[in-house]
Amino acid sequence: MQSQIIKESFDTLVVGGGIAGGEAALNLANNGYKVLIVEKDLSIGGKMILLSKVFPTLDCAACITTPKVSEISRHPNITIFTKSEVKNIDKIGAKDFVANVTKQPRYVHVDDCTGCQLCEEACPVSVTDQYQFDLVGRKAAFIPFSIASPKVAAIDIENCTLCGACERACPTNCIDFTQEEENYEIQVKSVVVATGFKLFDPLMIPRYGFGLYKNVITSMQMERQLAPTRPFNTVLRPSDGKMPDNIAYVLCTGSRDLSVGNPICSQICCMYSIKQAQLIMGSLPMADVTLYYLNIRAFGKGFNEFYDQAKGMGVDFTKGKVAKITEKENGNLILRYEDIETGKVSESEHDMVILSVGVLPNQDANKLFSKEDLKEDRFHFVNQPDILASPAKTSIEGVFVAGTATGPMDIPDSILSAGAAASETISYLSRKK
Amino acid sequence: MARINPEFSKELKKYGGFDLNACYNCGNCTAVCSLSTSENSFPREMVRYSVLGLESEIETSLNPWLCYYCGDCSSTCPREADPGELMMSLRRWLTGKYDWTGLSGLIYRSLTASIIAFVVVAIGVIAFAYAQAFNLETILHIGHYFEMFAIGGVFAIILLPNIIHMWYLTILKPKTKVSLKTYIKSIGDLFVHMFTQKRTLGCDDNKTRWFEHFILVIGYLSLLFTTVFLDWFSAQNLFIILLGYVESAIVFTVTIIFVSGRIQKKKEVSQRSQPSDWFFVIGLLLMGLTAFIVRLFIDLNILDNNVWMYLFHLIILAQWALIIVPFGKWTHFLYRSFAMYFDKLKTLEGVYNE
Repeated sequence: MQSQIIKESFDTLVVGGGIAGGEAALNLANNGYKVLIVEKDLSIGGKMILLSKVFPTLDCAACITTPKVSEISRHPNITIFTKSEVKNIDKIGAKDFVANVTKQPRYVHVDDCTGCQLCEEACPVSVTDQYQFDLVGRKAAFIPFSIASPKVAAIDIENCTLCGACERACPTNCIDFTQEEENYEIQVKSVVVATGFKLFDPLMIPRYGFGLYKNVITSMQMERQLAPTRPFNTVLRPSDGKMPDNIAYVLCTGSRDLSVGNPICSQICCMYSIKQAQLIMGSLPMADVTLYYLNIRAFGKGFNEFYDQAKGMGVDFTKGKVAKITEKENGNLILRYEDIETGKVSESEHDMVILSVGVLPNQDANKLFSKEDLKEDRFHFVNQPDILASPAKTSIEGVFVAGTATGPMDIPDSILSAGAAASETISYLSRKK
Repeated sequence: MARINPEFSKELKKYGGFDLNACYNCGNCTAVCSLSTSENSFPREMVRYSVLGLESEIETSLNPWLCYYCGDCSSTCPREADPGELMMSLRRWLTGKYDWTGLSGLIYRSLTASIIAFVVVAIGVIAFAYAQAFNLETILHIGHYFEMFAIGGVFAIILLPNIIHMWYLTILKPKTKVSLKTYIKSIGDLFVHMFTQKRTLGCDDNKTRWFEHFILVIGYLSLLFTTVFLDWFSAQNLFIILLGYVESAIVFTVTIIFVSGRIQKKKEVSQRSQPSDWFFVIGLLLMGLTAFIVRLFIDLNILDNNVWMYLFHLIILAQWALIIVPFGKWTHFLYRSFAMYFDKLKTLEGVYNE
């Protein structure tokens, strides 16, 4: 059956519903423009909504993100498509773009779902929870996470056994297995690319043993363990559930490293590691935390004071890149590194290792346009041809870029960048011809 | 006060050194190296010395010889600064430093000088054969004596003084006090390392590299013994004849593996080849091959009509004995073994505990 193509029109299409895309959309909507946010995930909020606290203020990330996300989703000028992808954008003329957007079925009627979670209880299928970065499990009928927006259930159809238990349990009859993919043809006057970044996959560095040694985890997994909506309500190491008391951070995992093809600094891994170290000291007061670093780059406002604060709290900073990690029988890990202070090869034992993974480009952005060329820089982020005077401009007129789609940056910079993208878009839209 | 010499990295480039200024001192190379210990931490230390041009620190160090080049440091270097190849260039530079004649350094630095040396030796051999009116019997006879005298002469005039120089630089100059008893007690280590290269087994890469090298060394040394002391080319004893065939076949087969490895560049260790590396492996290959063919010609009774074959072998032999052994890559056989011996002395005298 040929599904019907639904036609709609907006002023601006924002590709990506993370903190940068959301902020840009909000600024545009507050100025009276009609905005469509297309988000490929089940919830908007991007990576920030999953974080614990933010540096250098130690504000709760959820407490900043949640009101913002609510504002975005309730705004009369903003339409949000979740679980949707922009397949292609064509530029027809000045202020005239046509985008093909596909919305994947959620198998739940969003308007009817109350988020009661009875389907979760009924569902017999357990799989790893991607929103807790595989630390715990979830059901195949599930609410992505407690502060998701929209906070409605979804069916993970790939793992679903079609047993119908959720359908029977649902008090509002909102589960509908007959839903199909919907195709939209969206006419817009401008585009904001806010496709964000990807985290480095530490499997690419086998000598760190990620995926092989259970107590080697990524910084995003530790972020979840420290978040208010954390899975264990404390920090536990995965192999045996012991509370770790000697934690190591391996900074620059997959950053500033030509051997894995990413020579640039992530701009965040120093600071988020310092932040997590401070949070661990709050959560596990007896634990020792050591950061193995190449250089501490505490360049932003309040960053160096934040670094000093960590040192004052007793976080140990050891200069030297960790070269190898080996596992002992009890699950503890031996880190081999050269102590740059002494110039000697050293080995130290920790009961848990956090790999502070770097930032990689999300190369999906470069596939959005089929006819025009959305140029990328040499590190495959979206190129900014006029980076000093108009940082939000791209190689295509009418297409603007916000946040980490342009390169690694922290949250304050992402919000600034989104503001710049919104104001550039507004002046483009309000310009006569 | 140490003097900084930024020109040193340029000098080192002539020995094959790479982009050492790319190094940002993370220490990954030192920590990833399975031979590096808290007593002898390398290669980053050597990268620092090289960047700063602290020649006296480098010439008194044994560390370049303690690296057996598995290539892990280079393949995992986040700056692609190639520390493994730096260690290799330092070994070449040290070979030049130890050599009192200065010819070693010249041959390593200049391809032209190497080629001139090879041509001069070849012309010398042909001139000698011409003077003997290409009489096979006399050439064979003198060729055999040449081997003996070359070995003795090169060792006494070049190699022995160079090893004493190495001993002066690495033991005497840093004022290491070593008792006679320690010298005697550790002498076994010298020969164990000389004939087994067992330290290579400490490298993390696969063990076939050690095995191939080990077989080659044993094949080469026993071929040398068979031709010089058992006079293989004149031997009548079937056992000796067969022994020589086996040994020379081992030498050229293993070197074919090495040469093809350097052409294919699949392993980190064979990524970059300097002329000295090519001369060494190809020289060894031709030596084994020509020796094999010469003996085959003798057994087929066709050498009399093909004196050129023996002449070719003699040219290779003379180039080997007069250029590659005293001044080329052959010397690593001695320097590596002595470095292990001297390192043992330092360990026993507690130098690293201070």
